[in-house]
Formats: sequence, structure tokens, C-alpha cells
Amino acid sequence: MSKQAKRDAKSLFRNCQINGILDEKRVLQTVDEVLKRKPRGFGAILSHFQRLIKLDEAARTAKIESATALTPDLQNNYKEILTKRYGQGLYFIFQENPGLLGGVRVQVGSDVFDGTVRARLNELNESFKAA
Amino acid sequence: MSNLLQEIESKISGAQTSVAKQNVGIVREIGDGVAKIEGLTDAMLNEMLDFGNGVTGLALNLEETEVGAVILGDYTGIKEGQEVRTTGKLLSVPVGKGLLGRVVNTLGLPLDGKGPIKSDVSYPVEKIAPGIIKRKSVGQPLQTGIMAVDAMIPIGRGQRELIIGDRSTGKTTIGIDTIISQAVQNRAAEAAKDTSYRPVYSIYVAVGQKQSNIARVIAVLEEAGAMPYTIIVSASASDSATNQYLAPFAGCSMGEWFMDNGMDALIIYDDLSKHAVAYRQVSLVLKRPSGREAYPGDVFYLHSRLLERSARVNEKYGNGSLTALPIIETQMGDVSAYIPTNVISITDGQIYLETDLFYQGVRPAVSVGLSVSRVGSAAQIKAMKQVAGRIKLDLAQFRELAAFAQFGSDLDAATQAKIERGKRVVEIFKQPQFSPLLVEVQSVILWAAQNGYFDDVAVEKVKDFQKKLVDYLTNRKADLMGRLSKEKAFSDAIAGDFKSAIAEFKQTYK
Repeated sequence: MSKQAKRDAKSLFRNCQINGILDEKRVLQTVDEVLKRKPRGFGAILSHFQRLIKLDEAARTAKIESATALTPDLQNNYKEILTKRYGQGLYFIFQENPGLLGGVRVQVGSDVFDGTVRARLNELNESFKAA
Repeated sequence: MSNLLQEIESKISGAQTSVAKQNVGIVREIGDGVAKIEGLTDAMLNEMLDFGNGVTGLALNLEETEVGAVILGDYTGIKEGQEVRTTGKLLSVPVGKGLLGRVVNTLGLPLDGKGPIKSDVSYPVEKIAPGIIKRKSVGQPLQTGIMAVDAMIPIGRGQRELIIGDRSTGKTTIGIDTIISQAVQNRAAEAAKDTSYRPVYSIYVAVGQKQSNIARVIAVLEEAGAMPYTIIVSASASDSATNQYLAPFAGCSMGEWFMDNGMDALIIYDDLSKHAVAYRQVSLVLKRPSGREAYPGDVFYLHSRLLERSARVNEKYGNGSLTALPIIETQMGDVSAYIPTNVISITDGQIYLETDLFYQGVRPAVSVGLSVSRVGSAAQIKAMKQVAGRIKLDLAQFRELAAFAQFGSDLDAATQAKIERGKRVVEIFKQPQFSPLLVEVQSVILWAAQNGYFDDVAVEKVKDFQKKLVDYLTNRKADLMGRLSKEKAFSDAIAGDFKSAIAEFKQTYK
């Protein structure tokens, strides 16, 4: 992928943001427009553009995993706390994962708050290995 | 009993568990010991990354959407999509006296099978060099035990002196000789209970060397009894380029601990040419832009920041020192190549070893004309200054006259005398490897040569005369040598006594 394609994709990505938050309507319009005009290296531009969108989405996605389903009250509580910490524009995904055994794992972008029993057991396992 | 159960229950219910924030990323690409990781938004430069299963990496490239990390260990088990965590710790190595006598790898882990390293202190591998306020001028000698070096290219504690030359010209030998010399002096001072002597601890960093060579160096140091004062950091040719790139920095951190704690240390980087090649490899696989000879743009900074960490710090900061002897291997004697010129400009002088001299039997093959020490003369003891002051000039003149004399035999008496003296001085400077000489012995030999006591000895018998003279003086005139060692100068009285002692020896010499 050329540097120019990366630069163009970055520029398109910036133009799709309103106050630092990605606007879905603009994104779709941009993709349509690029496909219509077919500028030089449009494939690479769109591919990098897609990657930037994916990374932005990942950075603004809050994934809350728990061993058992969370009640709506608890879910709202989490939404409130995370919005307070990371600001508006977060997508929330609540997942049930019995493998965690207990507790909750919250991931927002690359930040992880892991309070699950599984994580503690893993930590204990690692400490035994190190010893 | 019921009370006890209640108490436990209340303690359990009152127990608080905290959840720490972690920063994670996902491996997007892995190959050649380098991983590209998405995420890790909080990663710091040179931060250690946890890949799980005991594998660690080092964050070297912080880019907009990803982090480029080099793996310090076995990277074959790492898979795409694997989770990576930041540790919040910079790459550190254990430091302290517990490392003396040990052979360790880049991460400070033992390689000698002598059990774990006893050290509870660690230093970051990358550290900012001491600033101007902390430093002071070089003023104390570091005796290499090699007469040609101590007399003509003196090295001071805290100096950076480059050892440069083609392959197989005796570069490593000078480094090893220096380590052995320090051990001999340390032991002598310990035996004499001389508290004024500051011992020098040595660190030998092998970068990209053959394992057999490293094993030979260890064997030589063990045989000479130098290992108790030495740390060996090994990043052999079979280690990853990352380990080879980091090894000098790890060794430097170990040396810095001695300096920071008011002690003197010596570090030998063997060699920085291979170090630059390893860094080039790491940079190329990290897709950093390459420059001259495909080295990255910061290859000068790589060596300058490493060698700047060698310093002499002033009394307020402990009066410690770290002396560096980096080694550079040239190709066909070309000192004007990229890496040699870089390191020459960084260091405080160089010892240049010539292939021609080496094969003529002049060993150590030190080229007098091209070797220089910019700060070391301030650190020479007075006795050595008195005798070695003119020797470099005399030797350079001899080389010129000897070349000139090849064209004709009619030479005046003064020129003839200079050539004859020069021939003997060249013989005197020849020294077998791993047999360092004490500075008093060196001073007396040079004093005798300067005062014409070698002039009537046949050139081929000079080494024999020198050996027997040294034996005579150390065994029969030990008190006189002791006085010289104490006063560290040729006073009129000492010079007079040496005159009569050498005259007495010459009568019995056959």
C-alpha cells in the first residue's frame, strides 16, 4: 500500500468525523463517492479507510462480558460509568461468557478491566510458574 | 468455635478486591522476531510487553495505529490474534556485585549453570548519560598492563578509547589483557591491604561473536584468575539480532551501577561493528527508513548514547567511573568507513592495530602514528610521564628514518644511533598476550632504554635482557622497586640507585 493511499484514506477519515465522532452517514457517502469516481489506487484507499473505521469502532466499543447475564439495572449502571469515563459515542455490547466463572470483564478500546475469577486463576497459575 | 466462624465470615465479607486497568493489544503480524500489534494505546517507548507464556517483547516503534515490538526470546509460539499486554516496566537487567564471576545473557539471566543471580537491584537498559554537573575530568590512570599502550596511548578512568583494526590483529587480546591487568592489580592491592587503591571491576560484552571465541575468553579469564572481578554479557552470533542490539546497553547498565556506587568499572564492547549490523537488521525488519549502507538514520545516536554513559563522576556524586573500550573491526584497513568514523568521532582516542605490523611480529601491533589518546596523558603517573614523554616521537622518527635508510647506507652517527635505539624500543614494546606488566616495571624498562642501557645489547637479545633485568630488579632490588612504586616518580636518588643497580646487573648478564 502506497503512502499516498494511506494519506488519502486518513484525510477521508478525518472528513467523516463531526466533533471527533465518526458520522456513519458521511462514511457511507464517502465510500459511494470514491467508488463512483474511482481515483488512482482507490482499492488501497478504501481498504485503509476501512481499517481506520474498524480501529475507531474498536476504540469506541465497550464490551462487557460476564459469567451470567446482567440485569437491565446493572447494564445501565455500567453504561453510565463508562460514558462518564470515556465520553459520549460508545457502543455497548453485553455478552454472557460462562468460561469467566464469575465477575465481569470490561474492554473499551485497548483498556481492559478484568475482575473475573478466570483472570485471577490465570494470574495465580502464572505466579506458580514464575516461582 | 462459632465465634471463630463468624469472624472469618465477617472478614471475607469485608474483603475488598480491586481491579487494575490493563492495556492490551492484538498481534496483527509476526515474523523475523518482530510483531506488529494493534491497540496498546498506552504503550511507552522501550516498554516491556507481555506476550504470555513467559515471552516478553520490547516496544520500539510507536505508530499511529499500531506498535512495532521486537521479541526477546522464542517468537515461534506467538500467533496472529494473540493478546499482548503492557507491563508498565522499562526493560531492566539485574545489577550489583552478585553478577561478578558470572556469564549472563542480554536480560541478565545466567548462562553458566551456576544457579540464579543474587541481585535485588535492577537498572533500566536505556538510561540517560550523566550530565555536565555530575562529571569531572579524567585524572586517574587505568593501567592496561600493555607497555605500548600505557606509555604512548595512556587511558584514564572514565575515558572512552576505541580499539580498531582489521580481523585477527589482536583487538580482543588488548581488551582481555586489560581485564587481566585489573584483576592482577586488584589482587595485589587486596594482598597488600592497600585501602587507597580503587579496584576496577570489568564487564566484557560479546556481541555477535562465535560461541567458541566467547568460551575461549572465559577460559583465559578463569585461568588468569580474573573472573571474580569480571562480568561477561554474551549475545553470540546465534542469539537474535534484538539480543545483540541490546547486549551493550545491558552491560553498560551493569557497569553504571559500579559508577553510581562510587566504584570504578571497565567495559569492553566486542564489537560495535557487529552491534551496528544487528541494529540495522532490527531496523530493517521494523521497516524504519534506511540511510547510508542501509543503516538507519540513528546509528550514530545508537553508539553516541551508549558511549556517553561512560564517565568519571565527581566527588559529590560518589567519585565513580566507567571506562569504555569499544572495539571496531575494519575491512582492509579502511578507517574511513561509515561505522568506524562514527565511533572514532565519539571516543576520546583510538588504538589502531595494523595487520602489517602484526605479521612482522610486532605484537601488540599498535600503529604509533594513527593511535592517539586525547585525555589519558593527564592520568599518567609521573614516573611514566618522565620516561614516556619522548618515546612516541622517537618511535615515529625511527619509522621514518628506517624507511629512508633503506635507500642508502651512508648515514651520520646521530641518525645511525637513532635507528639503533628505535630498533631496541620496538623490541621492548613487543609483549606476549595475557601477561600484563605492572606500571613500575614498565617505567623502569623504559627508563633504562631512554638512558642507553639497552644500546649495547644485540637487537635479538633485547627481550632476553629485558626479562632478566626485570627478574633481577623484582627479586634482588625489591626495596628499590617498592620505593618507586611509593613515590611514583624518578627522583634523583631513585634514578641514582637504579643506575648502579642496572650497572651491577649488566656486569653479570651473559
